[in-house]
Amino acid sequence: MKKILVANRGEIALRIMRSIRKMGITSVAVFSEADRNSPHVLFADEAVCLGAPASTESYLNGDKIIAFCKQLGVDGIHPGYGFLSENADFAQKTEDAGITFIGPGPEAMRIMGSKLAAKECVKKYKIPMVPGIDKAIEDIAVAKETAKQIGYPILIKASAGGGGKGMRIVEKEKDFEEQMQRAVSEAKSSFGDGSVFIEKYVTSPRHVEIQVLADKHGNVVHLFERECSIQRRHQKVVEESPSAILTPALRKQMGEAAVMVAKSCNYTSTGTVEFLMDDKLNFYFLEMNTRLQVEHPVTEMITGIDLVEEQIKIARGEKLSFTQDDLAINGHAMELRVYAEDPLNNFLPSMGTLTTYIKPEGEGVRVDDGYEEGMPIPIYYDPMIAKLVTHGKDRTEAIQKMKKAIKEYKIEGLATTLPFGTFVFEHDAFLSGKFDTHFVKNYYTPELIKEKQKANAEIAALVALKYWMEKQKITQPVEHKTTSWKRRLA
Amino acid sequence: MPDINTMYKVKVNEFEFSFSREQIEAVDLLQRSPVEFNLLKDHRSVNVKLLEADRTAKKLTIEVEGENFNIEIKEELDQMLEKMGFGLIANKHIKEIKAPMPGLVLEIAVKEGQQVTEGEKILILVAMKMENSIMTHANATIKRIAVVAGQAVEKGQVLVELE
Repeated sequence: MKKILVANRGEIALRIMRSIRKMGITSVAVFSEADRNSPHVLFADEAVCLGAPASTESYLNGDKIIAFCKQLGVDGIHPGYGFLSENADFAQKTEDAGITFIGPGPEAMRIMGSKLAAKECVKKYKIPMVPGIDKAIEDIAVAKETAKQIGYPILIKASAGGGGKGMRIVEKEKDFEEQMQRAVSEAKSSFGDGSVFIEKYVTSPRHVEIQVLADKHGNVVHLFERECSIQRRHQKVVEESPSAILTPALRKQMGEAAVMVAKSCNYTSTGTVEFLMDDKLNFYFLEMNTRLQVEHPVTEMITGIDLVEEQIKIARGEKLSFTQDDLAINGHAMELRVYAEDPLNNFLPSMGTLTTYIKPEGEGVRVDDGYEEGMPIPIYYDPMIAKLVTHGKDRTEAIQKMKKAIKEYKIEGLATTLPFGTFVFEHDAFLSGKFDTHFVKNYYTPELIKEKQKANAEIAALVALKYWMEKQKITQPVEHKTTSWKRRLA
Repeated sequence: MPDINTMYKVKVNEFEFSFSREQIEAVDLLQRSPVEFNLLKDHRSVNVKLLEADRTAKKLTIEVEGENFNIEIKEELDQMLEKMGFGLIANKHIKEIKAPMPGLVLEIAVKEGQQVTEGEKILILVAMKMENSIMTHANATIKRIAVVAGQAVEKGQVLVELE
């Protein structure tokens, strides 16, 4: 492989191109009209404009991307995450055009891309699963009846979904219809497929996932777990590896289950097997993500393995250069997703321009980003600005480094999730490891961040007043604090 | 020289504080460099940085724990001037629903002249792949719909007027 096109934007496009360059391969960037000055375009060896800013006109336009590949003599496409990364038809078209798709085969993507087909596929491997129905539903009346049978609370999920899109929790029967309509509509607009299914909603769940790596020669290994329970709107904000609660025995058990899931669909490349874990540490298979995950850096930090490099090697047909026994966990890694969202205003998107943008640096600190100072955050795409990752010899050290890095990360011009990060990394529940996906609901209120801001504002006020007063003393004439004139004795 | 009971008002970002001269005099502030300070407050040791100060040192920017605060000090004279100069502008009660964030109007669920009850869906706003239903907060009648489906709106832009 001599030339790879990265069919993505922002931080992930840049991160992938770094590995491509390290391997001595030529990189090709694609961009929309909104992203001409993006770092991923500036970094690439070659770049092509796909069209108007809307994703459907640019980053989702697979045919255009393939046409450019032929024109530029590209022999591999890396899709990143999101956009076309889990589109089996695109993977198929890529392969049909004689270009290597750097990811799993279209068949594995098709199976795992449909949550229902995935469940069907792993059934025979005795992988534990959450109670629910195993077929897609469109009829609201039928769906409502099914929900009643499973028992509320229930979860409506888009069959083709991911990242919390098209997913709704329904606590009471009276809310069912509105939520179902929303879920179907979101699923249609986000994935072009409106089919949903229903399952029991596990209360107090943790989200623990296993990273797998599989070559084209039947070798599958797992690279341990990532704990991703800190979420808002069912989307991850904080991830870590290893998990604070997994025992080596449980880790081995889950790792083996994940490897079996991968084997069940002849999986190749990087993949992530997501599990739901209840408060008694029972785990259930949720789904498999057939791509590189947003949070892959925490795994890279603790294993020392460059996952993108491995993907490319696997795509070239190489065998994995290590076995399960060669892999070990080194230290602990934390990740905070820095979103352009306002944690004081219900995590709503906060758009604007990065008037100040200074990254933290230091040993064990990694920032994967795709913006520079002065750049606006476009409204057309995901609001993630960067991923802040820290690595320490243990969990405490990784957390301490993270807190320091957050303080050193200067972003002005819009609100970000950085203050929320501080809240998480200082919270007793997070520090003790006893938390679940309801962390935000159970512990977080904007007032807590506000209170802290107010305390710091008060400090700033006192410093300012004292400083101002001292300065005035210097410029003002000295008051009568001398003794009256006296005759000198000597 | 003002006496120890003179009060000073300070605006810090969206917060406002008031301290007496005595309180300020009692502050334990150590200057470590032209811009670096250490403050001891209730036994908490905080390092702060002075990023900007105007000539009068009444407008400053100070960094505390990585966060920047814009400060404006108001002396009694300033406070008096403000009272005289700017009377409180009466808050005209306009009933309108504004966009809580920038985005695209996906669909509008109401018509002009329609009666709506509290919590009723007015329209759906989409931004960064998220849908948000905008609801009413009171019983009202839709006086005017200021946007159309498919339109991009800015934060704070009026979406509908109520009466």
